[in-house]
Amino acid sequence: MKLDRGFWTATAVIVLLGLVAIFFWVYAPITGLMPEAVDRARQIDLLYRFLAASGTALLIAVFGYILYFVFRFRRRKDTPADAIGLQIHDNHKLEFWWTLIPSMYILVLAIISVNLFFQIEPVNAQGNTLVVEALGHQWFYTFRYPGIHGEVGEMHLPVNQPVTLHVSAYDVIHSFWVPDMRLKVDMVPGLINTLVFTPTRVGRYELECTEFCGTFHGDMRSGTQQDKAYVYIDPPGKYKAWYDATQKAQANASDAVQVSSGASLDLSKGDPAAGKTLFQTKCSACHALGPFDKKIVGPGLMGVLHDPAHPNLVNGDKATPENVAKILQNGFSGPMGTMPNQTANGISDKDIANLVAYLNSLK
Amino acid sequence: MAVAAVHSGGLADHIHPEPQGFLRKYVFSIDHKIIGVQYLVTCGIFMILAGALAELIRVQLMRANGGFMTPDTYNAVFTMHGSTMVWFMIIPLLTGAFGNLVMPVQIGARDVAFPWLNMIAYWIFPVAGLMLYSSFLMGAPVAGWTEYPPMSLQGAPGTSMWCAAVFLVGIGSTMTGMNFLVTILKMRAPGMTFTRMPLFVWGQFVTAPLLMIATTALGAALAALFIQREFGVPFFDPTKGGSPLLWQHMFWFYSHPAVYIMILPAFGIISEVFPTFARKPIFGYKMIAFSSCAIAILGFMVWAHHMFTSGMAPTLQLPFMVLTMLIAIPTGVKIFSWTTTLFGGVLEFSTAMLYSIGFLMLFTIGGVTGVFLAAVPFDLHAHGTYFIVAHFHYVIAGGSIMGALAGLYFWYPKMTGRMMSERAGKWSFWLYMIGMNGTFLPMHWLGLWGMPRRYAVYDPQFQTWNQIESWFSFVMTASILLTMINAIISLKTGKKAGPNPWKARTLEWQIPSPMPYYNFKHIPSVFSAPYDFAEPLPYRGLEEELTDSPPPVPAAH
Repeated sequence: MKLDRGFWTATAVIVLLGLVAIFFWVYAPITGLMPEAVDRARQIDLLYRFLAASGTALLIAVFGYILYFVFRFRRRKDTPADAIGLQIHDNHKLEFWWTLIPSMYILVLAIISVNLFFQIEPVNAQGNTLVVEALGHQWFYTFRYPGIHGEVGEMHLPVNQPVTLHVSAYDVIHSFWVPDMRLKVDMVPGLINTLVFTPTRVGRYELECTEFCGTFHGDMRSGTQQDKAYVYIDPPGKYKAWYDATQKAQANASDAVQVSSGASLDLSKGDPAAGKTLFQTKCSACHALGPFDKKIVGPGLMGVLHDPAHPNLVNGDKATPENVAKILQNGFSGPMGTMPNQTANGISDKDIANLVAYLNSLK
Repeated sequence: MAVAAVHSGGLADHIHPEPQGFLRKYVFSIDHKIIGVQYLVTCGIFMILAGALAELIRVQLMRANGGFMTPDTYNAVFTMHGSTMVWFMIIPLLTGAFGNLVMPVQIGARDVAFPWLNMIAYWIFPVAGLMLYSSFLMGAPVAGWTEYPPMSLQGAPGTSMWCAAVFLVGIGSTMTGMNFLVTILKMRAPGMTFTRMPLFVWGQFVTAPLLMIATTALGAALAALFIQREFGVPFFDPTKGGSPLLWQHMFWFYSHPAVYIMILPAFGIISEVFPTFARKPIFGYKMIAFSSCAIAILGFMVWAHHMFTSGMAPTLQLPFMVLTMLIAIPTGVKIFSWTTTLFGGVLEFSTAMLYSIGFLMLFTIGGVTGVFLAAVPFDLHAHGTYFIVAHFHYVIAGGSIMGALAGLYFWYPKMTGRMMSERAGKWSFWLYMIGMNGTFLPMHWLGLWGMPRRYAVYDPQFQTWNQIESWFSFVMTASILLTMINAIISLKTGKKAGPNPWKARTLEWQIPSPMPYYNFKHIPSVFSAPYDFAEPLPYRGLEEELTDSPPPVPAAH
């Protein structure tokens, strides 16, 4: 059968509708419904426009031809009962093209996606990055800030300040998703996952959990304040005011870790060489000599006292030799794992001094 | 005839004695056709259960602050809905039911290779189903059909029963896969070369190894979860050296191929329906068969695309992303081939044909959104939202179930000897199309606007769309019920079908309806693919099938 006028008319209509769809997705006012709260959101929206435009165009082509064929080749009242269709088995030229063109499309899509992927993925944090930690609980979120003691119930970020967000969870898998940021990462117990972005738009944004976490999964709160979970992106002045007030309020908050021995240690006589030997026998099974997020059971400890990206220890306290000694003395229990205390580890006060000296020497 | 030499007369020609007595004939039958019907009926029962659970979900979501069920009940309901639909409805329906009913006859065999294994595989399935539903009595599992630990470690005791039930049904799947693979490899009629096999047989042939290989990974994962729950071995506990991600890898290593287990047989069904009702050969037979193989192989290499937000190594995400995108190419080839099959045909819109056209359209939507989700940066936004729910319901409710419904309307006359009502069938099709799209299309934008899945209560701005979805879901349920009533009533009142009501050309239509227990009086020989409508039928040795000549004598034991 020759391709007749009807076929070419249908093709013209399909192409026209496809172009309208592409035009629509290029100019669709996505941000009218969903603001782009961070720098990455715009790039992800561009990828979405590309996917939606090409996907809709393909659907219009397939649906258009199906509906045209259904109409054009339907059995009519006067069609003889034993009529048969066109006996074609294949057409190599056609099959070649409809394999090649989708392959080229996939190639283009893969290049765009890989390229965007490398822009979104966490790179090593820069010096001026604000490091924030978000932790999932059943059924609320808490957050930790450098210089603020303990965990706070609200997340505030200063606008236009690059942020490195580390997430983990205490009990089951949760996730951190702010739809207006277009970014999401799972909070997995025992694992530290990272997002890197720069907030670009002041406002209050809903924070949602997308990994099923139990009874109140649909109702995760901010802190224990029984307030719906939000992320606040503030102007720098407002952020500073919130930070200062919170720091003050938290300073008096009770320690998450109870002190088991009140003895103060003399850290000044620590011997790094003895500490190194001890580290290899007592610590290296759980702690790597690598960056913070190179985790075995506990976090990596390279530069633990000198890493600007991680000004806080695992318990939220400032990274000082005294606070490291405190953890060694008292142990730690939290979402990143459990560390035994001094007695359970079988180390003396002198050992602690040596270990702290060694850790302090790692830069 | 040279092809006759292929046939040694051994395996394929073996005839079982006709079973006597109710128990041996209808309950513990080893006849593939009876087992197929048993699967079909059992799947129908599970469809009613899982469908009722789906409606409970939709009723709960009518109001943003829920209130119809407690959150824990809601969590149990969607967990059981998903688990039932995947393992107790769609997989057994497309492999156990249609595979058993049709595949052995289509290759010209008298039964599957291991009839006793077939019976055991079937009987595991309802027993496992009872175990699954008994978990309601001891506290139902709540963590979704994926049962991610540590959440599933907190689950009620029923979660362990869930592990055991799914493990068992997996064993049945593995048996069926092995049985079908051997059947297709060893029991084809003389002359039935691979390029002469009907495309439904190709669908089953590609699915069988998936059932065999992938299901074992699921079994291992379930065993580990069960052992940790019951005996405390910390496979998934990070504080003792385990990892929650271990489960996700093992689970998706099964559950991604499982998606293809659920769709490849449906591809096969519509590849039979299109040529029959277009009265023309399927376009690109070899490309359709080859692309099924490509999809099955690629299907094993993409599981981690379910875990882009879980915290895998970033360098690992890239190959999974690109391999996932590659699946779009063979899938596209299939869609274009089916569309082109319609070109120049003499199209008759029977219910089976309508459902197949519906399949083609809705599955294409699911396929396109699948490419969206393959792109990691977009998946970071859409993962775990209603966009995902929309995507896989278009693939499974729009693809697998529509394919199965096409198969039901197509093969029902062969199965029972009577026609289903075409009038009720067409009503059911239109109700399904309206209900299905009304229920799942809005989920795309709900997900993108920020509605996560598995929420018992949600933000009030999404309520209007959720109410619309719920109303449409009742239409979809009405369609399924109409088909079920149609199937039951037609058993008694349906028009007599005769051997070949659709004038189809594959082997099962050349023997009486319903099919006699021995299938063929003489094993036919085959000398061409079945879809050349201009040619005479490409079979020899079928002359006596529709005559009154005596049935063949069972081999002596």
